[in-house]
Amino acid sequence: MWSLILVLVLVAAACGSDTTETTEGSAAPATTQPAATDDTTSEETTPTETTEAMEEPMFAGTIVLGAAVSDTGKYAREGQDTRQGYDLWLDWVNHEYGGIAIGDDRYEVEIVYYDDEGDPDTAASLVERLVTEDEVDFLLGPYSSGLTMSTSAIAEKYNVIMVEGNGASESIFERGFKNIFAVLTPAGNYTQSALKSLADLGATTVVIAYEDTAFPTSVATGAQKWAEEYGYEVLAFESYPLDTPDVSNIITNFKNLDPDVFVGGGHFNDALLFVRAAKEQGWTPDAMVITVGPSNPDFAAEVGVDANYIMGPTQWERTMSWEDEWFGTAEDYALRYEALWGEPPSYQAAESTATALSLHLAIEAAGSIDTDAVRQALYDLDILTFYGPINFDDTGKNAGKPMGAIQIQDGVVNVVAPAEASVADVMYPMLPWDQR
Amino acid sequence: MDLFLQALINGVMLGGFYAAMMLGFSVIWGVMGVINLAHGEMIMVGAYLSWLLNEHVGMDPFVSLLIVMPVMFVIGYILQLVLINRVVDRPILVSLLVTFGLSIAISNLVNVIFTADPRLTDTALEGAWSVGNVTFPVTKTAIMGVALVIMTSLWLFLQKTRTGKSIRAAAQNKQAARIVGIDINKIYALTFGICIAITGAAGAIISPTQAIFPFMGVPLTLRAFTITALAGLGSIPGALFGGIVLGIVESMIGIYVSGIGTNLAIIASFVLLVVILITRPQGLFGGLRPIEEPVQL
Repeated sequence: MWSLILVLVLVAAACGSDTTETTEGSAAPATTQPAATDDTTSEETTPTETTEAMEEPMFAGTIVLGAAVSDTGKYAREGQDTRQGYDLWLDWVNHEYGGIAIGDDRYEVEIVYYDDEGDPDTAASLVERLVTEDEVDFLLGPYSSGLTMSTSAIAEKYNVIMVEGNGASESIFERGFKNIFAVLTPAGNYTQSALKSLADLGATTVVIAYEDTAFPTSVATGAQKWAEEYGYEVLAFESYPLDTPDVSNIITNFKNLDPDVFVGGGHFNDALLFVRAAKEQGWTPDAMVITVGPSNPDFAAEVGVDANYIMGPTQWERTMSWEDEWFGTAEDYALRYEALWGEPPSYQAAESTATALSLHLAIEAAGSIDTDAVRQALYDLDILTFYGPINFDDTGKNAGKPMGAIQIQDGVVNVVAPAEASVADVMYPMLPWDQR
Repeated sequence: MDLFLQALINGVMLGGFYAAMMLGFSVIWGVMGVINLAHGEMIMVGAYLSWLLNEHVGMDPFVSLLIVMPVMFVIGYILQLVLINRVVDRPILVSLLVTFGLSIAISNLVNVIFTADPRLTDTALEGAWSVGNVTFPVTKTAIMGVALVIMTSLWLFLQKTRTGKSIRAAAQNKQAARIVGIDINKIYALTFGICIAITGAAGAIISPTQAIFPFMGVPLTLRAFTITALAGLGSIPGALFGGIVLGIVESMIGIYVSGIGTNLAIIASFVLLVVILITRPQGLFGGLRPIEEPVQL
């Protein structure tokens, strides 16, 4: 009987861990139709042909880009944002800009898409197909750090450049790859702007709690580094496991340490747990900086008045004061996006457009589509866009762009740092929960 | 001392949450021998029902129990008649597969209907009571209270009523129960309905403390599995005691070990499980199932 129970436990445990993976993979296998190349490209090229007939720009040829982006699976929503961001650029470059300029010639652009289903292995094999069968000239990145991790290895293997805007984990850039470039701020710098602005307001002590998975760990390690840089004393550095249902104990400890600033790294539910636990224990630090949750408009909508004063990092917001000669201001970009897609852009969409734009500008600077020339042009690139400054370092990370910080103020997500992009001042310190 | 008291309170509250969450799982396993891998999804459905009532009617999640429990009972009763009854006599792997499939189907259906955007309910029972430096979280105290009421009612039902006795008889020896005229299919459907109602209720009352999203169920199922094995199948005092023991162990380690405390607490809870399984395989409190299976005729 004992052994029977043990066997049952093992079976169920095995099934349980399967559940985690499979349910996250969700409906993908059932609904997946790898987006047929022909369909996608014909969709993209049909409008081009019509406009060509009207304006008659003579394209000297076609530059083909390829991307595996989630259409189904757990990243379906973010994948859609990513595609829409790429397609906005595509629509603009072919119809308004008149094609990528190489020397005196203009080149039309096509993007070949496949659905990676949110699975790193599928993404890798699709990117291999893009390179070997579709023979694309350059690759655009997928959504998420994990998928970028696997697909960039294929890009490296075939020596094809991949520019991406949706993989922030530092580990992507620590493998010595020569063909990966990312326009977004890496995870380690997520809390930099927020910590700096709070230090300027007089905060001197900080506690950090983070989920012990790749991205939050990068964020927390970075937060510790920046905190020391800005003269904070780090009173605690606590990790907690994935899917934790309760963080009361972490908050109890932090309450006793009485720090000025709380930094939390994790996912949406963690942001919620921290806010609820702090309120339950009647603990109000002077500022709370939490990743992922607060910058999502759902957070303020669901949490209500308790969400006020909560700060968080953001890659991009439409209210930021960045501006360029191609898409205008961040707000201009947002309006253009709304006109095309009928919904406001998320930062995932904006960084995808910026991804394609920086590849475009590097090709023009290189004056060819030769991999080595474009790679050098990407290294040399130093531009200011509607999305922020773009300037790649030796590893391919965007060293130029500061991470923004937002604060929820009366239910509205306002950019409060860095100073050159902010629209409101940080409200500091936080008002106690029961005085709202 | 304040810190110790606070750790104790946090632990007991976490235990109340665990006990409320795993009770339905434990009784289904104990009575029918079915390990319901769709348990977490039932919690999720209960939480979504509560959210719908909260969002559209402004009903407090604790009040919404009056609607959530009957609805979930009907869902459970039908599920048992249509699906689970067909596999209950088959090897354990079959029911594992069926409930596993059910969990995938439900979470993806909910994903299609409600999207993956996380939801949250509001309750009037929020904030904290303070005694000196020690605080009692109001919502979690209410969860504990409701959990106690549900457990006591279920215990009384199983001990005192004729139907309750039939359920226990079916758990102990199905053949003998049949011989004395108990309609096993009906008893199983009733048990499943009641347990799903309790599970849905757990979803409703924890909805103010957790983000509600279609894939929230899996970690809850795993946790329910752990505590059930710790406490004994279908044992109600065991559910409460096991939940609280685990809650306090996690809380104490979480508070007194810095840096990795919360992680270490999870390790400790599984070490505890292994020790219990080796030394007392029927769980701390025994349970509805006999230690040795009766010889089947």
